[in-house]
Amino acid sequence: MFTNETIDTSNLPRFEEIPLTKLNLAYAKVIVIMLTFLFVVFIGLAIAGSVFIDEWQPFRVWIFLGVVCAIAIISLFAGISFVKKGFAFREHDVVYRHGIIATTTMIIPYNRVQHVALHEGFLSRIFGLAKVQVFTAGGHQSDLEIPGIAKEEAESIKQLLMSKIRKEL
Amino acid sequence: MQPDFSKPQRQSSIGVIVMFANVLVEYGKAMAPFIIIMLIKAGSMTALVFWISLPAVLVVIALIAWLRFRNFTFQLDDINKEFVLTEGILNKTRIVIQYDKIQQVNIKQTLLQRLISVYAVDVDTAGSVDKEASIKAVSHQVALGVKEHLMQNIRKTSVTSSEQTSDETITKEVQTETPILKISLWSLIKIGLTSNYLRTFGVILAFFLTIYENAMRVMDGTGYRHHDVTGYVKQDFTLSVGAILVAAILILFLVINLLRVVIRYFNYTVSKQQGSLLLSFGLINTKSTIVKPEKVQETFVTQNYFQKKLDILELRIKQATNGQGEKHNNAIEIPGCDKKETNHLLELLFHTIPEKGVMLKPNYRKLVFAIFLSIVVPLGLLLIFLPEEFLIGFYWIFPVYAALRLLLLTVGFFRYRLYINDRFIIKTSGAWDVTDQIIVPEKIQAVSVSQLFWHKSADIGYLTLHTAGGNLSFQLGNYTVIKGYVNKWLYEIESGDSNWM
Repeated sequence: MFTNETIDTSNLPRFEEIPLTKLNLAYAKVIVIMLTFLFVVFIGLAIAGSVFIDEWQPFRVWIFLGVVCAIAIISLFAGISFVKKGFAFREHDVVYRHGIIATTTMIIPYNRVQHVALHEGFLSRIFGLAKVQVFTAGGHQSDLEIPGIAKEEAESIKQLLMSKIRKEL
Repeated sequence: MQPDFSKPQRQSSIGVIVMFANVLVEYGKAMAPFIIIMLIKAGSMTALVFWISLPAVLVVIALIAWLRFRNFTFQLDDINKEFVLTEGILNKTRIVIQYDKIQQVNIKQTLLQRLISVYAVDVDTAGSVDKEASIKAVSHQVALGVKEHLMQNIRKTSVTSSEQTSDETITKEVQTETPILKISLWSLIKIGLTSNYLRTFGVILAFFLTIYENAMRVMDGTGYRHHDVTGYVKQDFTLSVGAILVAAILILFLVINLLRVVIRYFNYTVSKQQGSLLLSFGLINTKSTIVKPEKVQETFVTQNYFQKKLDILELRIKQATNGQGEKHNNAIEIPGCDKKETNHLLELLFHTIPEKGVMLKPNYRKLVFAIFLSIVVPLGLLLIFLPEEFLIGFYWIFPVYAALRLLLLTVGFFRYRLYINDRFIIKTSGAWDVTDQIIVPEKIQAVSVSQLFWHKSADIGYLTLHTAGGNLSFQLGNYTVIKGYVNKWLYEIESGDSNWM
């Protein structure tokens, strides 16, 4: 039987109210390792500079303070960035939230997805993590990358998306 | 009589001339520095040898051109649904393009091609990875034949996948080209006098800078001392001369702008062909382009104050791009239509005339931020960093600039609106050139909403709608309302099986 009932637009599912899945905690380890590596290089350079470059000598304290501040700020931002990232795969679309100063939420309906890819970074692979990449026809700006998902989960997400795309065709 | 396109075809034999010109330009570019050196050292022995051997070089180039011509074939393979090009003398290249990947088929003509009355056929694909395929010299009849054949086959394949457009197109007579719009020279003159000031200004500025640079170089060479000349110029640069100069530049500016528009868009014709729009234009190079209504992603309608008085508009259409680069190439411009013609075109593209629905205004902070960014920051930096003796006598520029900029920003702010109804999303923006950016919710590929943390309490935020032709973004609108519409659009996209391309 054919029905055509009026849709109550105020009762549509709201993307802003759905619970988002946080990134895998193992991904925090990946970030910590990467940052540690960066900081070691940073500190090494600062120490080498203040030992070997004579002009830097009088500013040693300031260089030290600057490096500490930079490390603190970068760590803080990385922490916020990690906590704020969240994703959800709904029945008909994928939702991804990210951003430190500006909170950006991006939504791609499954019937606009062109293809899906899995990407494993060197460190992520060690921790059994993968990045899900979702591509649309809208160019770079409308593509989506969700990092820090456990490998099997990412694989099943990819399968899910692939089956959704195939259904559309 | 059409040749059999299903077998590999060569180009028109007179096309050898086009090949020759292409090879000549190609090699000429590579040898340009060498040739210039030979011209300068005209008397030397090497130069003599070079000039004597030049005919031989030309013969070699002619041979290369002929071989390229011999080895270039095109083929329309209906069985595999492919357009096949083969080219190359030693390294053979075979370009294969599936029919359903073809986005546009353009027939073009450069001045040389016009002289020997041959045409180029360019086949554009959706992916940027694929090489662009181009047949460089065929007769008009063959060019039209190829285009017709390709367009028909593209239609056939797309008809099987999308049912809704098929009924209209099949019942229509094949190969009827009824011009529905012809832009008169008078309209082009109007457009030329009222639009694109900035672009032309850039061209003229670049032109004068090169002239100035060259003049200085010549004077240096002829023994004039540099500051003698500048001193002389300064002395005589009285107010009257300045005024005449400014007037002359303005007139020159208008004339160049006018010429540019007329040459580019001369004899602009829009005709309807099997449900698509066929555009052709140009004085020296005739270009023709096909616009398929279902592939249109974004439409821009632009008009400034003068153009409003003269009742002309500019229309810009963006079709789907799958690739990364060359976004600007994909915009198709239709200059100089009046209100009625514009509405007619919009009706062809959208089946109805787009209407503006519920209005969304930006928050006042948008204006404040714009003022800060484009008035306070640059002027402040100038005041701080430029030495005082440099600024003396120029302080009056600061309030003048600030006032003008403030006027533009304020007008722009009050024009900045987003209109939403069930079928169309229209963004109006611009202070002088007022543009309506029109998109249809079905064409949305992805949606982004974004909010800075200090805007949370004010409940304002950013909206970006991504389409395959580009983005539409609206800044600092009411966030709750925006989110409501996002949910509605998502519902519409996800519940329907609308065809976005």
